[in-house]
Amino acid sequence: MNSLTDSGALYDRLIVDRARTPLHAGRLEQADAQGEGKNPLCGDKTRVDVQMADTHISQIRHQTRGCAICLAAADLMAERVTGLTVPQAQDLSRRFSAMLVNEPASTPDTNTNTPALGPLEAFAPLRAHRARIRCAELPWVALKEALSHVDV
Amino acid sequence: MSMASTQDKVRQDLDVAAIRQQFPILSQKVHDRPLVFLDSAASAQKPEAVIEAMAHTMRCQYANIHRGLYWMSERTTEAYEAVRDQVARFLNAHSREEIVFTRNSTEAINLVAHSFGALLKPGQAVVISEMEHHANLIPWQMLRDRAGIELRVAPITDAGDIDLDALQGLLADGKVALVAMTHMSNVLGTVTPAKTIADMAHAAGAQVLFDGSQSVVHRKTDVQALGADFYTFTGHKLYGPTGIGVLWARKELLEAMPPFMGGGDMISTVTFEKSTWANVPHKFEAGTPAIIETIGLGAAISWVEAIGFEAIGAHEAALTVHALTRLADVPGLKIVGQPKERGGVISFTMDDVHPHDIATLLDRNGIAVRAGHHCAEPLMRRLGLTATARASFGIYTLPEEIDTLADTLVRIRNFFV
Ligand SMILES: Cc1ncc(COP(=O)(O)O)c(C=O)c1O
Repeated sequence: MNSLTDSGALYDRLIVDRARTPLHAGRLEQADAQGEGKNPLCGDKTRVDVQMADTHISQIRHQTRGCAICLAAADLMAERVTGLTVPQAQDLSRRFSAMLVNEPASTPDTNTNTPALGPLEAFAPLRAHRARIRCAELPWVALKEALSHVDV
Repeated sequence: MSMASTQDKVRQDLDVAAIRQQFPILSQKVHDRPLVFLDSAASAQKPEAVIEAMAHTMRCQYANIHRGLYWMSERTTEAYEAVRDQVARFLNAHSREEIVFTRNSTEAINLVAHSFGALLKPGQAVVISEMEHHANLIPWQMLRDRAGIELRVAPITDAGDIDLDALQGLLADGKVALVAMTHMSNVLGTVTPAKTIADMAHAAGAQVLFDGSQSVVHRKTDVQALGADFYTFTGHKLYGPTGIGVLWARKELLEAMPPFMGGGDMISTVTFEKSTWANVPHKFEAGTPAIIETIGLGAAISWVEAIGFEAIGAHEAALTVHALTRLADVPGLKIVGQPKERGGVISFTMDDVHPHDIATLLDRNGIAVRAGHHCAEPLMRRLGLTATARASFGIYTLPEEIDTLADTLVRIRNFFV
């Protein structure tokens, strides 16, 4: 029999590993802002704690209960936005969403200040799984809420 | 029982290969794999006979009903009303006037909540159970908030059966006007002891409604033998089309209830000052109904009855035994609920693998199952879960498809754990 995921490639090794062993899970005692995301359809839940250093995000921790896609998305998001300014993180969030709904060619990278998606590109195959896109976006919903409480 | 013997048992009861030939969709491929469709409890696939009956109506014999004074309208009216007779026989109703066509089960229950609900007084109560589909929960919550009635919830046991002693307790003060309960759980597969529940309700002076959405598909339904007062089902789970459902209710109840929606077809006389209502069941069928879908439902019922519930029941019971046997061998897999009597619906979890991940990976292998809370959030909470995966079976399900499911689940688990 063929391998379990061949044509899908959705469950990239990186995603499975981060779902199983997240590197940025937990809480921040000294969080400057917090945000929550909930998906009433499946009960998935994530909570994001953000700590700022001047204008930059210095640390992020998440507490996530959900599927592998949601868990890995939270963990890789935390990794990717650490060190970014709030506008940069918001730009990245938009770019991440665009990647999930658009074909790659139609996502113009005009803003050179936006950091690259990097490992977040592992989620690109979600395009073919519309019903699961919200799983990957849930942590970003929580981050957006957290960043809306940050005044810089 | 060994795997081979439970497989053979399935084969004896029904010529499944011949039945599958009648479902064009079952020869489709998904992600380059043969489709293994294990989500009939959400909606069943449609046989050629249903597709053809609907297409034939649109091609050859279609006009609006109950109003045209011309040949084509009269023929269409006859075809539509003939399905009412058919449904009356299908449920063993006392008369055709007791059959109300709705959009689905959800609308049928909303109709009862609205129109029977209008007869209730503050202080009276409605009892549901912990394992209701939202369709048999939300309409009663809305009625509670609108009419000041009380909503009581009968608990289930850990095995997934209605706790009859607790139900007895809820009925004791004589305030309950209606017990509204599922006849078969879409999550646990539990078949509820409808006759017992009806007797208990009646002894306490209450009416009883059964949500037959899941149940009618698998067994012969006799509303008189069950002692029901209301019964609902939905066409699309019974191999029929979407957009057509049925409310059966005792005629005296329908006659006492005010209309649900107003409009054309449901009236007797209309003036600007006052209007009067048509007789039942037309009082409850406002506007142009789902004519084509109703005719499709008639074709579905004929098709199911030609196979017969004895063969269907035996086939599905054997499939369920085979599935329980095979799934028990999947490491880390837990079947949710061990009800006394179950239909062909099995919910499960597998270690920490999230049901959504299970469903997506099964889908990559051509296998369609449902994952989530199955429109029964309070039940999930009762079970201490947020979601389950669910496999459900139909007339066309093969034992080999269950084997494919079990084998693929083992590989999914190895992938994650
Ligand atoms: C037990 C039960 N009740 C009610 C419904 C609602 O059916 P429908 O959506 O066709 O109204 C369903 C189907 O999802 C069900 O399984």
